[in-house]
Amino acid sequence: MARSLKSSQLLLFVFLLHLLSVTWSWKKEEFRNCNQTPFCKQSRSRKPGSCSFIASEPVIENGELVAKLIAKPLQNQEEEPEKLEPLILRISVYHGGILRFKIDESPDSPVTKKRFEVPDVLMKDLDEKKLWLQRISSPENGKGSVLYLSPGYEAVLQFDPFEIYIRKGNDPNAIISFNSNGLFNFEQLQNKREGDDWEERFRSHTDSRPFGPQSISFDISFHKANNVYGIPEHATSLALAPTKGPGIESEPYRLFNLDVFEYISESPFGLYGSIPVMISHNSERTTGFFWLNAAEMQIDVLGHGWNAIDGIAPQHEAIDTHWMAEAGVLDAFFFLGPTPKDVIGQYTKVTGTSAMPQYFATAYHQCRWNYRDEEDVAEVDAKFDEHDIPYDVLWLDIEHTDGKRYFTWDKLLFPNPTEMQNKLMAKGRHMVTIVDPHIKRDDGFALHKEAAKLGYYVKDYSGKDYDGWCWPGSSSYLDMLNPEIRSWWAEKFSLENYVGSTRSLYIWNDMNEPSVFNGPEVTMPRDAIHFGGAEHREVHNAYGYYFHMATAEGLLKRGGGNDRPFVLSRAFFPGSQRVGAIWTGDNSADWDHLRVTIPMVLTLGLTGISFSGADVGGFFGNPEPELLVRWYQLGAYYPFFRGHAHHDTRRREPWLFGEKNTALIREAIHIRYALLPYYYTLFREASVSGVPVMRPLWIEFPADEATFNNDEAFMVGNSLLVQGIYTEGARSTIVYLPRGQTWYDMRSGDAYSGGKNYTLEVSMESIPSFQKGGTVIPRKDRFRRSSTQTMDDPFSLVIALNSSMEAEGELYMDDGKSYDYEQGAYIHRHFVFSKGILTSSSMRSTKTSKKTLSSNSVIERVIVLGLSSSAKSALIEPAKHTTEVEPGPLTLRKGSSAVGVTIRKPNVRIDEDWAIKLV
Amino acid sequence: MKSPIFHLSFTCFFLITAVLSADLSKESLGIHPEELKYYKSIKIKCKDGSKSFSKERLNDEFCDCPDGTDEPGTSACPESRFYCQNAGHVPVTLFSSRVNDGICDCCDGSDEYDGKVKCPNTCWEAGKAAREKLMKKIATYQDGVVVRKKDIEQAKLMIAKEEAELLKLRDEEKLLKDLVEKLKERKEQIEKAEEQERIAKEKEEEKLREAQKKANEKASEKGADEKEANEQEKKFEETPPTDFDDFVDGSSGSSDKEKDKTDNTIDKIDHKNEENTENIEGLSREELGRRVASRWTGENVGQQDKEATDNKEEEHEDFANTQDSGDNYEDEYPSDADEDTRKYDEDEIDDRNKYEDEDEEEGPYNHDIPYNSDTEDNTDISDFPTLSSSSWLDKIKETFQSVLKAIKLSNDPVDKSEASRVRKEYDDYSKKLSKIQSRISTLSEKLKQDFGPEKEFFSFYNQCFESKQNKYVYKVCPYKQASQVEGHSTTQLGRWDKFEESYKQMHFSNGDHCWNGPDRSLKVKLRCGLKNELADVNEPSRCEYVAVLSTPSVCLEERLQDLRNKLEAMNAARAQSHDEL
Repeated sequence: MARSLKSSQLLLFVFLLHLLSVTWSWKKEEFRNCNQTPFCKQSRSRKPGSCSFIASEPVIENGELVAKLIAKPLQNQEEEPEKLEPLILRISVYHGGILRFKIDESPDSPVTKKRFEVPDVLMKDLDEKKLWLQRISSPENGKGSVLYLSPGYEAVLQFDPFEIYIRKGNDPNAIISFNSNGLFNFEQLQNKREGDDWEERFRSHTDSRPFGPQSISFDISFHKANNVYGIPEHATSLALAPTKGPGIESEPYRLFNLDVFEYISESPFGLYGSIPVMISHNSERTTGFFWLNAAEMQIDVLGHGWNAIDGIAPQHEAIDTHWMAEAGVLDAFFFLGPTPKDVIGQYTKVTGTSAMPQYFATAYHQCRWNYRDEEDVAEVDAKFDEHDIPYDVLWLDIEHTDGKRYFTWDKLLFPNPTEMQNKLMAKGRHMVTIVDPHIKRDDGFALHKEAAKLGYYVKDYSGKDYDGWCWPGSSSYLDMLNPEIRSWWAEKFSLENYVGSTRSLYIWNDMNEPSVFNGPEVTMPRDAIHFGGAEHREVHNAYGYYFHMATAEGLLKRGGGNDRPFVLSRAFFPGSQRVGAIWTGDNSADWDHLRVTIPMVLTLGLTGISFSGADVGGFFGNPEPELLVRWYQLGAYYPFFRGHAHHDTRRREPWLFGEKNTALIREAIHIRYALLPYYYTLFREASVSGVPVMRPLWIEFPADEATFNNDEAFMVGNSLLVQGIYTEGARSTIVYLPRGQTWYDMRSGDAYSGGKNYTLEVSMESIPSFQKGGTVIPRKDRFRRSSTQTMDDPFSLVIALNSSMEAEGELYMDDGKSYDYEQGAYIHRHFVFSKGILTSSSMRSTKTSKKTLSSNSVIERVIVLGLSSSAKSALIEPAKHTTEVEPGPLTLRKGSSAVGVTIRKPNVRIDEDWAIKLV
Repeated sequence: MKSPIFHLSFTCFFLITAVLSADLSKESLGIHPEELKYYKSIKIKCKDGSKSFSKERLNDEFCDCPDGTDEPGTSACPESRFYCQNAGHVPVTLFSSRVNDGICDCCDGSDEYDGKVKCPNTCWEAGKAAREKLMKKIATYQDGVVVRKKDIEQAKLMIAKEEAELLKLRDEEKLLKDLVEKLKERKEQIEKAEEQERIAKEKEEEKLREAQKKANEKASEKGADEKEANEQEKKFEETPPTDFDDFVDGSSGSSDKEKDKTDNTIDKIDHKNEENTENIEGLSREELGRRVASRWTGENVGQQDKEATDNKEEEHEDFANTQDSGDNYEDEYPSDADEDTRKYDEDEIDDRNKYEDEDEEEGPYNHDIPYNSDTEDNTDISDFPTLSSSSWLDKIKETFQSVLKAIKLSNDPVDKSEASRVRKEYDDYSKKLSKIQSRISTLSEKLKQDFGPEKEFFSFYNQCFESKQNKYVYKVCPYKQASQVEGHSTTQLGRWDKFEESYKQMHFSNGDHCWNGPDRSLKVKLRCGLKNELADVNEPSRCEYVAVLSTPSVCLEERLQDLRNKLEAMNAARAQSHDEL
């Protein structure tokens, strides 16, 4: 008996080892790599200079340059290739340094299938910004066309070899260029001939590919660039590492929206969203590139020497990149810069800036899969109060529904949803429920019945409603590409249709990649059919965006057009910033995941999506208390700040880890609440200029090369630098403070001069954060249950002086919810401290506005750092009263001591002009 | 009823501060009556000693002391606390964040005085309701204390009785042990004698045999030995490589490492719930969907799993059988790649190791046993009364003497009737001894439990408390285990661990393992009540359960006194507020 047991155990052991090896490679197997993706494999193997197209016959048409791209007959080709129509190239120029070039099939093509152009992404007013080209001139050698781009800059179309680039004045060197390496390829649509086998198989799935090969690939060169950034979403470093070249073995960066179970950090694998935008930077110039295309995309960043011939790399000071997409058209933009903020401004001029969020949405959110029932909700809510921890939003995940039928409630667990929401609202708190795009195929479910009847579902290749598997089981997916269906969907959010909803309820869109558990790569088959006959392969990366858009439209309608929607989405695409917030999906409770949240959120910001964050604590797994505390300390600075957890994890609400950790987490959340006026001002800036709330250091210090690869520290606005702590038991950390400024520690007030690495001691109390000299940060130092109760509370101003003893800053405020600010109902102040006088003046546009906003809030405290003054009092104009000046602390916590000069109770109104003079 | 002082409506912040500074009560706003003294002087110290402030800075809406000393009545200092008197009800201390936040927190409305909201004074109604509730609670406690006292008395009696029984049993055990020892000696003596007789007889027979035959016999004996040795060698060859052999035995250092590795493996697989990739290809679309979904949910996937669960139960019961037929198990295993089964099998392997090692006397499924052993306990008790009677003891002594005598006369030839009598007596007394020993172990196991400082939980020992909630029945058996029953399937929520929080909570830990989660555990909070009643079973965190048990065992007299004092204080406050009206 003993013997047989032993051998059975051996068998088990071997089997487990086998399983383990499967485990390690398992995720990879589920997803296609480049070699398993024919278009990628083929494009990636192309050699430099293999482009066969030449440009010809340039003409001006509708203010654009239009030319033909003709395929040169290939050398050594025995058979006469099938005669194809030339491609059509259109180049247009937009105000402010934006060049657009588009390549598509000829309208004379014999193939009836039209390539898909992604609608509703570009700004509707983009055409108004078009510079109407009048004439083209030829460059010196007569082999191309030259276009005016912006003062001092020109765009050049070179005919043969075909190339498009931007140059400055007469400097022949390109700044940014297309097809400099001759990798451009365009698989033209053809009618199927007998014997063509276009099917593709992956694992158990077959893609019928009825329209055959149609991929596009090309190279973009960023000349003299130190680094390239962008193309989210990947869990990887901020500066993109090369994926191809001598000694580099890597997959390309993939852009294909996928629901990846337990994704790993440091990987070029595509995650939940895609933005085909890349930004290059060196100490003198920043440029950008955007390809509007929603098909699967693969992008190689080519390492130095990638194009070496016989081991000798051509002399070439550029970062070359190789872009490959399965379908769609080539519709691309160059952004000239020259500063990082210019590039982001140019990109957001094309796709829009971030929507202005409601004030509450910028505060702390508490989520878990799942808050079980109304009792659980009430208890969690009460515990926040019991521990004096503010929060603004309580979230309900999928289990709140009746059998994963969205817009319904589990009657046992949530019998009185309206009452529950009203109870929260009585404390100024909001609720968010989840609404996913998969609709349960259940004839008893009215939504499904209606959608099926109206033919609103995405169809499979055979024309039947596509039937996939998700949370509810068998499900279908609404075709959100169709504006009519989006309107229909939007109606479902009215208070009448969404029974049990209230005006304080907002929405969370998850699984909108779309996630299909039994589909190829956990998503929808590429040959599924959308509105207008578009194939899913062409629409895929934008699907989640349309769903997000339709949901936000619903909330907008519900609020009569004057309640700003709040909708969080996991999938995203260019334009998502106009719709709502994004989070980085299902991360894990480990230190590497904590670290990677910063480059991930920064990259989203660089590519227009300002309102984003990562699940605090990590979705999967149980964080040790130290990790959780560090995550709160860092997460408090994410633009979107939410704690979330998987249902298998232990409860981790802030008060569950002992008094000490509760206090640390409370403090972290308090910091966010104190800074809400500053954050809101930054959200306003992002909604106007596109510049993100949370920024890589190099956006603020573009000439400081030491910042280019730093993705452990970041700026919040232009005033605040934060360094995360990413290791367990850290006693010290190295912080680089950019050059040219003095920096003030936000807790101790200690001053540091910039341009140096500092090794700083750290404790569990906080992560290092610094205010830049020369800035003013508005704060609210009174804590409430939620941000709602702080609206009339007084402000503090923290003034950090630069070497000239000066500083300036801004404050923006409005009603925090409506669009009345568009009519002028807002306060926008400019604070300047100079020569011992602090003044407040209005930054409102001088245009007459229909509405105004007044506020009873005053400034209760002004703290000046870096001031050597013996002033004992301050004179306030125009009120002509004096108030006391004395040494004071930077923060109101136990044990803090005086570190700056405090002007006590100036009590000047926030909405008025005034001056405070130290005497 | 006293009307709140600050119910004047002001729209401007300045005015309020101005009025406040003019108002005398600014000096007492939000301050606990016992602390008023502290704020009497002109110069007041921050309690943390950081600095001091002048009286006009008291409640002046600006935080001077980081610890909040100077702003007890405003929201200016995050660290300060606001005291509201709530005449007619109980006083409350609030976080400063609640002051003038537009939400009425104090029933007397004193926390909202800036005119933004008007808070009606609800102390009278709230106080009345609270007093009624408190009186009810007191009534429960009063009765509960009596029941508890009775229980304690009874428990002490029972314990004394059982301790006495244990002592007695120990004496008897000693006696019986000696007797059995002697009987064994006598038995062996007899058997030796019998053996000698047999040998003598055989010798006689031997003489009749041929010498040749004798030699042959010897040779064949030798051959058998050799064969056995060969077989053993062969077995050795068949066993897997030494490393692995070690792993199974768990006997060497390296094997422990190996074992850890396997455990890790198991953990990882548990965690990920990933299927054998090859299998995916053959799945139907629906199955594939379910499987992928199950990564997130950890839910069972479809029918296969249901079967697996059934198997699990079967195997559970047939555990002893499977032990003997390891081959069966071996055949079954690879065909069943299902997560649950796999998990189960792994557990089983662990348990088998334990079993093989024989280190742990407790079988792997011991948690099932206490129920049964309990009932056995009870029958045992009824079995034993004769044992304790004097006639029994006499009989034992008698037997003892006779055996002693017999041993001395050991050289006598074997008397057949004597031999069978000794054998029977040996068997009988051995049985008795083991019965007594089992009773001793049961009793001493019970008596070493923690029944609380006053033995108030003694009666819990043989009790189980049940509560039905939706489709589940929860069963809590203190000192044993807790379980969740759904139809025929039982999930162990935990084995008895200990009392916690000064006997206000019972803890059961190490229950059945949760997929992707911890081992199940249960905390049962104890509340004063007249009957033992289990309620409110909840799972606030995955696989971590909580429940409430009402029981007289925690109706403490001191607590009753506290409650009475509290009621008195409330009544006094009420009287006062009436006076003021």
